[in-house]
Amino acid sequence: MTANLVGILMGGLFHAAILFLVAAGLQVVFGVQKIFNLACGSFYALGAYTGAAVVGYFTGHGGPSALFIAPLALGGLAVGLVGLVVERGLLRFVYDRDETFQLLLTFALVLMLEDLIRMTWGTAPVSTGGLYLGYGQARILGATVPVYNLIVIAASLVIALGLGWLLTRTAFGRIMRASADNREMAEALGVDMRRVYARVFTLGSMLGTLGGALVIPATAAMSEMGIELIVEAFAVVVIGGLGSMRGAFVGALVVGVLRSVAIAVYPELEMLLIYLIVIAVLLWRPRGLFGAAPA
Amino acid sequence: MATTRREFLKTAGGAAAAGAIGLPAIARAQARPGVPSDPVKIGVLAIRAGIAAPVGAAGLRATEWWTERVNKAGGILGRPVQLVVEEESTPKDTVERYRKLILQDKVEVVIGGISTGVTLALGPVAEEMEVPWLSWDGTTQKGVEETMPNPKWAFRSVDNEVEAIVAGRLTPKYFKGIKTVAGIGNDYSYGHDCWETYQAVLKRYIPDVKFVLALFPKLGVTDFTSHIAAIQQAKPDLLMCSFWSGDATIIMKQAAAVGLFKTMKGVFTTAGGVHDSLKKEFTPEGLLLGYNTMYFDDPKGSPLLKQFVREYKAKYSEYPPYECDHAYFNIESYKAAVEKAYPAAGKWPSRAEVVKALEGIEVDSLSGKRSWRPDHVQMCNFYQGITTHKNGYDFVTINPIEVVSTKTAMKPSGAKLIEWINSWKI
Repeated sequence: MTANLVGILMGGLFHAAILFLVAAGLQVVFGVQKIFNLACGSFYALGAYTGAAVVGYFTGHGGPSALFIAPLALGGLAVGLVGLVVERGLLRFVYDRDETFQLLLTFALVLMLEDLIRMTWGTAPVSTGGLYLGYGQARILGATVPVYNLIVIAASLVIALGLGWLLTRTAFGRIMRASADNREMAEALGVDMRRVYARVFTLGSMLGTLGGALVIPATAAMSEMGIELIVEAFAVVVIGGLGSMRGAFVGALVVGVLRSVAIAVYPELEMLLIYLIVIAVLLWRPRGLFGAAPA
Repeated sequence: MATTRREFLKTAGGAAAAGAIGLPAIARAQARPGVPSDPVKIGVLAIRAGIAAPVGAAGLRATEWWTERVNKAGGILGRPVQLVVEEESTPKDTVERYRKLILQDKVEVVIGGISTGVTLALGPVAEEMEVPWLSWDGTTQKGVEETMPNPKWAFRSVDNEVEAIVAGRLTPKYFKGIKTVAGIGNDYSYGHDCWETYQAVLKRYIPDVKFVLALFPKLGVTDFTSHIAAIQQAKPDLLMCSFWSGDATIIMKQAAAVGLFKTMKGVFTTAGGVHDSLKKEFTPEGLLLGYNTMYFDDPKGSPLLKQFVREYKAKYSEYPPYECDHAYFNIESYKAAVEKAYPAAGKWPSRAEVVKALEGIEVDSLSGKRSWRPDHVQMCNFYQGITTHKNGYDFVTINPIEVVSTKTAMKPSGAKLIEWINSWKI
């Protein structure tokens, strides 16, 4: 009985860990730039494909398979720099436009990145073979849990703490929060908004690509995987509150764990339950659990 | 003119395909008396995007391979073959492209179609346009029942649930003492229909079998850890899974990570569609695995199959899945029907004469002999077997191999599926 509960909980936490990274990327960008980045799911897919390619190259050139996680994470982070290109090359031209234009532009990115992935890696699912199993399994209260899943959960937790530290303890974090609160005032006080936006968007896309890279050993990459995830990421930010990092954390936990429980208890509710919660939150707390009050 | 993304893809794809099998490569063959010397145009519908894109690619590759060979050997009655490739996407768009193939490109026949959601809509259009349409893998079934019992122009694929029937029959043969069964499939018609059919068949062999859990994740989900936890909780003796794309690979890997198949048996009715991604590292021996209508490593396979597998591997670095066989059979049967109808016609046969010749015709396909049932449904063999690591690949193959004909595993024309299963004498 406990073994089953642990299994269900760990399944939920693993899903929540990945959801958090994607949702956190969405939140960072929305919080500061007020842009709802639909392409966050595509960054996730891009990270997954890049991760698989880097790991394939690493083990193919004699890299010890136990260390694959290092090139995997580095590859995931490096491809996140595509965010800088997107921000400088495209997004900065629409900051003064209506939100609809920004939304359309990020949607165009979703389509372009999907085709780019298809042109680069083809249509067949890409995976890293059995590397995932190399880390073995842990026994937790009678349940068998893949060690790699624990690593992903831990990594997500560390990133969450790191983001908290960045936002509350560093100068850049203070500037980010100040810009999120009042852009004009921050600019008037001498903050270079161009640099802040470029950095924030790159940070947001890196969170997504890192999430994708971390998940790939446990699954296989498919070109539409990003679109699948973004729907759930929406639910996370609606529950947690748009723009709130704490909200992304709690929202991801709620969605991940409840989905897992629903699958075990009453599988027909798998997605429905998530949307019921979204509706409840929208009715009782329209700004989400941690959403800021309108200025 | 505004060009949508899909149209762009389609045009680009069509141009690429036409280029790949361009006419200059064709040996100048002498057209037979009464046969025009211009190329015969064949329309092809192939999925190019989304989850079924690899399946569409496999069908198209086999069609191109066939075309190259046939053109080298002089075409059909001396007429070179020219493919006009269009994309299969949504029912509405695909129907439009189907009309375009006939009205604008003036093709003699349309082949292809994979998703039953699309081909269900194509069937009536084929009847209306009066041009033969041969479907690779799509049926005109609503659920498990046929919607077009007596078509004139539409030729449909094997019934969707045959792999579940074959697996249901083989389950009691290979796995003794099964009392409880869980199922997982995609949350759309195919997943649900396979599960219903599998249950109906298994109940005939094991009357007291209990079905303890049914999971239907959406198509495209890439994380099944929670589903696997639910399966562990339900503790079935056997898990039946009808995944056929990358999700089959993913669930296999995630199941291995928690040792799922150490405590239960496994039946994968359709995962042979992605067989070369089922690596030995995470795919155990002893599962029942279905390859649909073609098994690439069949020791009894024809020289044609062996040549195809060799050249496919050399060109694409993959081992061909079954969709190649559907596609090869379709276009080969069209050629055979034209040649069969020619002597009586004394000229290139009319479309109606070709259709008449197609009914009941039997040809050599990659997997062996395949035919069209008189009511326009594909007849073929299904290959399933028990996974083994004893081979020279890095993925699993099957041994022993069970070959089951649609003559016994598909409902006869006009029959209701569940009634037919319940009427079996066992």
